[in-house]
Formats: sequence, C-alpha cells, structure tokens
Amino acid sequence: MIAFEHVGKRYGGRFEALSNIDFRVSRGEMVFLTGHSGAGKSSLLRLIMRLERPSRGRVMVAGHDIDKLHPSQLPFYRRQIGVVFQDHQLLFDRSIYHNVALPLEIRGLAPRDIARRVRAALDKVGLLHREKALPIELSGGEQQRVGIARAVVNKPALLLADEPTGNLDPQLSADIMGLFEDFHRIGTTVMIASHDLALIARLRHRTLRLSEGRLVADEEAA
Amino acid sequence: MSARHSRKGAATPRGASAAARTGGRQEASTSPRGARQQTVRAQGQWQAWLRHHRAMCVDSLRRLVRQPVGSLLTMLAIAIALVLPSALWLSLDSAKLVDAELDASATLTAYLDKGVSESETGRILEALEAQSEVAATELITAEQGMAEFQQSLGLDDALARLDENPLPAAVVISPTTPSPEAMAALSERLSAMSGVAEVRLDLAWIERLRQLAELGRRLTLALGVLFGLGVLLVVGNTIRLAVENRRKEIEVVTLIGATHAFVRRPFLYSGAWYGLGGGLLAWGLLTLGSDWLAAPVASLAASYGAHYQLPTLGLVGSTTLLTCSTLLGWLGAWIAVSRHLAGIKPR
Repeated sequence: MIAFEHVGKRYGGRFEALSNIDFRVSRGEMVFLTGHSGAGKSSLLRLIMRLERPSRGRVMVAGHDIDKLHPSQLPFYRRQIGVVFQDHQLLFDRSIYHNVALPLEIRGLAPRDIARRVRAALDKVGLLHREKALPIELSGGEQQRVGIARAVVNKPALLLADEPTGNLDPQLSADIMGLFEDFHRIGTTVMIASHDLALIARLRHRTLRLSEGRLVADEEAA
Repeated sequence: MSARHSRKGAATPRGASAAARTGGRQEASTSPRGARQQTVRAQGQWQAWLRHHRAMCVDSLRRLVRQPVGSLLTMLAIAIALVLPSALWLSLDSAKLVDAELDASATLTAYLDKGVSESETGRILEALEAQSEVAATELITAEQGMAEFQQSLGLDDALARLDENPLPAAVVISPTTPSPEAMAALSERLSAMSGVAEVRLDLAWIERLRQLAELGRRLTLALGVLFGLGVLLVVGNTIRLAVENRRKEIEVVTLIGATHAFVRRPFLYSGAWYGLGGGLLAWGLLTLGSDWLAAPVASLAASYGAHYQLPTLGLVGSTTLLTCSTLLGWLGAWIAVSRHLAGIKPR
C-alpha cells in the first residue's frame, strides 16, 4: 500500500527532516510511527498526503509514484486517504453533522446518501446523538471522535493519524485507539504517528521508530 | 464523567459492526462498471455539480445578507464607480441622435450668377439634379431670399429703399453622402459649373461637433475602463478579505480533497452578487439622477426653442448595465481567489 524508497526530505536546503527512509506497508496493515517530537513523523505523513514532495527517493502509494501526480489529480488522490489530525481541524461554524458530511459533499454525493453515511460514521464513533451540536460544545475527546468520523466517512483505503491521542487522558486514548483497530479489522490500512509508547506497546502492532530523521527500528508485533 | 464514557464504550462495537456491514454492501454494488453504470455516474456527477452550484449561490447570498452594512457599502462603492461612465455613455448616446440630425441637415448652398434668367435657372437645376452625389435640391429665388432676409432681420423699411434686389438666386443641395470630404469635393465640382457663382458650405462647425463627439466617446471609453478596473479592485479586495476569513475552511477542504473549482465557487458567487447589487444600485442612482435633472434640462432646451429629453437606460441599457456589473463582480472575485488560493497551503 505504501512504499518509501530511499526517501529524503530537506527543508530550505539545509535542515534534513528525513534521510534515507526505506520501508513498505502492506494493504490492510496497521502500523505505528513513533519517535520524539521533531523526529520526522509529521514530515513522513505529509509526504504520504503529498503536502510535501520528497527531495530524494520515491514515495509509492497503491502502486503509484505520487510525486508524478498532476496538481489537478491531487484532490482525487487525497479523497482516497482519511486523515485524523491532533488538533482535529474541525470547522467551528457548522454542526457535527456538516463537519462529517464535508468529504461527501466534496465528492458530490446525493444528500440522501450523505445522510445515511454520516449517521453510520457518527454511530461508529458513538456520537450519533450529538449530530446537531457545534464542535465547541463537545469535549476534546468527542471532537477527536468527530475528526475520526470525518476521516472514515469516505471509506478510505488508507487512514492516517497524526498524534490522534495527543491531548487526551489514558482512558480516552485507549478508546480512540480501539476505534482505529476496528477499522484495521475491516481491512483499512492504518498508519498512526504517536509518541505514547506505553499505549503502543500494549496494542501489539508493527512499529516504525524514527530518530532525527532516520528510521532506526522496524519492529513487528511481538 | 466515567459513566458517560462507559456508555459510549458500549455503543462503539455495535456501531462498528453496522458500519462494516453497510461498507461491504456498498463496495459490492460499485465494483462492476458497466456502460449503463458509467452513464448513471456521469449523470450523478452532473447533478452533483448543479447541486453544489445551487447550494453555493444561495449560501453566498445568505452570507451577504448576514452582514448587511458591509455588503451594502461594497455595493455602493461599485454603484458609484458604475454611475459616472454609464451617465457619460447615456449622454453620448443622445449626442449620437444629434449627430444623425446634423447629417440630415448637412447641405451646400450654390449661389447662382446674378441676373440669370428663369429658363437658365431651370437648366442649372436639372444639371445639378443629374449629379449622382446630389440627393435633393431646393431653389430659393432672389425674391424668396429677399423676403426671408427681411423677415429674419426685421429691416423692411431699409431694404425696401433699395433700388434692386441685391440677392442672387440660390439652390440648397442635400448631398447623398454627408461626410465632410465628399461635401468638399462636391462643392469644388459644383463651383466649376457655368451659371454657379459660388458654393458655400460651413464645414468647420460640423467638423468641430464631430471632434467633440469623438472626444466624448474616447473619454467615456477611458473612464469606463478605469472605473471598470475600480469595480474589479473593490470586489477583489472584499473577496480577498472573505478568503482570509475562511482560510481555515479552505485549508481543511483542500486537505480532504476539494478541487480548486469547488473552493473557488462560493467566492465567485459572492463576487457576482456584489456586482449585481452594485449594478442595481447604479441603476437606481441613474434613474433618480435623470428624474432630478429632467425639469431644468427641459426648460433649458425650451429656452433655445428646442425639444430635448434626457435619455433613459431603457430595457437594453438596463440589461447591459446589470450584465456588465455582474460579470465584473464575478471577474474581480475570480482574480482575487485565484491569487490567494495559490498562497494557501494546508499545514
């Protein structure tokens, strides 16, 4: 599903955020990406989303060299990836329902289909009863669940998450990770960047460890 | 707190299985892509496109109405920029009417030799009418000329004391082509004819009027272009602020796969609404203005013994004004959004 081939990323010619990253993730796999802040986790995810382009090497997603995508193809590429952000990136001027509906509205689905799929996604994250609420009325954990619902409402083949449990207490973090495992179970490829080592150790999945822009460990689940 | 969480925890697995079931069914229904399904998909995309246009058209109008003062000020600025060139264009349009009348009244006067006999006058008239450049002729005999002269000057007594009529007979000639060049050439040719003493045409004032009209036309064009640019700037600046205000939203929708066209659409509709609103206000200002000026203009014209009515926009003019203003608003928005979208990169 994802293949990094000797990928390097420099910013501003000097600072090397990633160097010689080489790994593969199979379809349907669930992978954690760990490392200290500044180790390059976010840069790596941004490369997959094609928000950045590699300075060296190739990033392949679903068999395509995504560096070769034409700018006009980018929106359609991004629609196949669900992304969960640490700060959830919800829009505060509209209800939970409309936040989750956004990817489907962009794809131009009929309102009836949108309603059905939004409710299924909200039901999945346990927030169906809050669909009319505004994001500001929700707790941090609930906002994160809305972010997850929005990421999966499109039924993406690939789900990326950047520190999805960053600001949450351990119980809520475990709940959120449980959701990701559910998606992994139904065949979605999941990649989660997190520095919550204790939680990751408990979940027993493959873990890629980054340090100062290098891939220092690739540990299969014990 | 903990009670709430445990309730949610219980809800999750049930939801998960439901979502998985619907997901599986959907995948199965979309995988075979027959020709019929392609048509259905294309139709669906067309409908989706229309749906988004309709939604954005209404949404952008709603956003305008939600900030009535700001929107009205923007529209007023657009209206003021539109009023001046429109008013000039209108007055030029009426100048064109005057121009046409001028063309109709452009004539040459051929004074005949003094003391030509009536039969000779008839021969000259025939010769004049035979010319292809001559559309019509009107003979003014020496006696008629004298009578007109007396009437217009009110010098009955003084002129009555003259022994003989000093005026020659004259022929007023309407040319087929009233252009200054053609008339000058015609006058030269006619003055060479026997029996014609002199041909007079007053080209200078016609020329002057034409140049004035040309000046007006160019001035209107220049002002039109300048004020059109003004409208673009007003709309562009307003839309730039709107883009800045919705930066977060643009970043998020770009992240989740919105095309540029999708992002641009609401702003283009806002621009078009601003333009249309400005056009309507300009139309109102022009109508008010011409009503306000109508009375003094009419009495001024009457004092010159003329009948002149202030021109109005009419249906064609109004449609042109509104179409132009809407297009200008749309274009201003397009320029602003395109410029600023390039600068917005999702973080």
